[in-house]
Amino acid sequence: MKERILEWAGYVAPSGSEGGLQEALLGAVREAADEVRVDVLGNGIATKRGEGPHVVLVAHADEPGVMAIHVDERGFLRLISIGDVPAHELVGRQVRFTNGVTGIIGVEGKVKREDIGFEHLYADIGAESEEEARSRVPLGTAGVVWEPLSEIGTHRLAGRALDNRAGCAVAAEAFLQLAALGRRVSVVFSAQQAVGARGAGTAAFQLNPDLAIVIDAAPAGDMPEAPRMALSLGKGPCVKIMDGTAVVPLDVKDHLVESARRLGLAIQYEVWPRGLSDAGAVQLSQGGVKVGGVSYPARRLGGLAQVIDLRDVAGAVRLVVEAARSW
Amino acid sequence: MLLKRLTEAMGPSGFEDEIRGVLRAEVEGHVDRVYTDVLGTLICEKGIDRPGPRVMLDAHMDEVGLMIVHAEDNGLLRFRPLGGVDPRVLVSKPVRIGPEKRFGVIGAKPIHLQKPEERRKPLPLESLYIDIGARDKDDALAAVRLGDVAVFATRYEEIGEGCAKAKSFDDRAGCAVLTEVLRRDYELPLYGVFTVQEEIGLRGAIAAAYRLQPDIAIAIEGTVCFDVVDAPGHGQGTVLGRGPAFTLQDGRTLADRRFLEFMIHVAEKHGIPYQFRRVKGGSNDFGAIHRSRAGVTGGSISIPVRYIHAPAQVMSLEDYRNTVRLVQAVLTELQEGGFRG
Repeated sequence: MKERILEWAGYVAPSGSEGGLQEALLGAVREAADEVRVDVLGNGIATKRGEGPHVVLVAHADEPGVMAIHVDERGFLRLISIGDVPAHELVGRQVRFTNGVTGIIGVEGKVKREDIGFEHLYADIGAESEEEARSRVPLGTAGVVWEPLSEIGTHRLAGRALDNRAGCAVAAEAFLQLAALGRRVSVVFSAQQAVGARGAGTAAFQLNPDLAIVIDAAPAGDMPEAPRMALSLGKGPCVKIMDGTAVVPLDVKDHLVESARRLGLAIQYEVWPRGLSDAGAVQLSQGGVKVGGVSYPARRLGGLAQVIDLRDVAGAVRLVVEAARSW
Repeated sequence: MLLKRLTEAMGPSGFEDEIRGVLRAEVEGHVDRVYTDVLGTLICEKGIDRPGPRVMLDAHMDEVGLMIVHAEDNGLLRFRPLGGVDPRVLVSKPVRIGPEKRFGVIGAKPIHLQKPEERRKPLPLESLYIDIGARDKDDALAAVRLGDVAVFATRYEEIGEGCAKAKSFDDRAGCAVLTEVLRRDYELPLYGVFTVQEEIGLRGAIAAAYRLQPDIAIAIEGTVCFDVVDAPGHGQGTVLGRGPAFTLQDGRTLADRRFLEFMIHVAEKHGIPYQFRRVKGGSNDFGAIHRSRAGVTGGSISIPVRYIHAPAQVMSLEDYRNTVRLVQAVLTELQEGGFRG
């Protein structure tokens, strides 16, 4: 698990530019699947035929990022955000584009820190002319704010894109285990979640699941003076009760809780009224889809780097497999 | 003059009857079948039994407007915007209200009577009203019903060097492009779709895309252009006269890169100028269409329009003609199998 998370978090995959990452993700499940594809919106989908209801595991592959939208006459790039990215946190940071070009983000003078918006930022990629910049980073090229990955403490990882590469690792591992059990199962590495769950709905339309389980990060609240949130690192995976996109049907929630009880697995409950996930888009696809969620707590969710606990991630795999197997 | 007929027709979101009738008359005889769906979207079928990818060309026919919601005792009418209207552009503008196109003017307290602090602030929506010259409430409601909708009274006119001004180039310019495109024949199944209710949430396009299930969709849109004094390069959106604009990212869409590259290739092959829409805000019908069912490939082609959603909008007629050429060229290349879906 840890190796997969670290490898996958090394990919630059802002929303709409998930292609390179999808190859790696699907590569991990290809052998066990009957069918593997990347669809129109960029979702990576693997399906295994087998026994029982069709359970679909959904984990978004993408991350928020930036896009080059303009080059000035001196070769500086102007940026817009992809998804929700705090502009003032980008100053002085390294940007890495999908084609490997890197640069440093600067801010125009005379702008107060609290007033910084994307219109004040620029990326310096070392170009000496407009032409050079344009040829190295064509307009529309997407990138991310680079942040190294590290193992901290005994069980924890810190760094960029752990949300939701850890979820991808959970979904991939659970898919492999369920396929080995002979279950009918699909995994969706969904595209464009960070811009509004655009991929997941179309994937659910294609698969028409009997049950979908969305695997994603949820905000931990166990830091000093943290915004109030009853989730802590290391206390187990979270069963989603509700987020800003969906209320999990009681029978699905009860089934997840009962599955955890059978495993003797400690769990937490995710109640995240303003949280955005793929759950709502999946639930409202086709004529309505049964949806549940299994999350792992993450500190600094929405920031440039997150901290997660591998024990929560391992617990999430066990919970997803047990719940899917017994649905 | 097509652009004149289309821009001067009324059609605020949800009240598209007049513009729909105008468009139907323009396309009849050039397409195999014309019909409306439940929401009122006008769908034109052209060669739908031909082999090849099913292509949906979209232009929304609705425009922003002002809905009359209340009549005061003195006969002045209160209103609410229908779609995104900046209240600061409204004061003193002439409007036409309802199916009878009754004349009105948006009134406000004259500068002579404004307190110093009032002069410093833009007039909020609550302080504006529409004056139709009514004596009192009964007189007003005999002429205008609550729920009637007003649009700007601007006439179409060609101005300056190859430009034109009108209301609602967003998106009657796109409707005009689509109308011209539908007058030629293509060797592929084609749906020309004039949608309703785009300005209030891309609503017509959601139902139309679900019904038609296109393989490829292109939205043709009049888009934001602010290439004026003091606007930095990355704050312009688009530039007038530099050709049709491709969307990289807007509020509802991340460009489908393969189709974007295909359209760029077509523009370059046919020697048609193009630019990119360099702003994230705003959206168009493709934002709804690409999420339909299992997902739809395609993109959008936009005509730069200065002062969209305002009473008088300005467009370059050369941009307009280049957009017609570009859409035709894209269809020609699609029928040759130039895009592998």
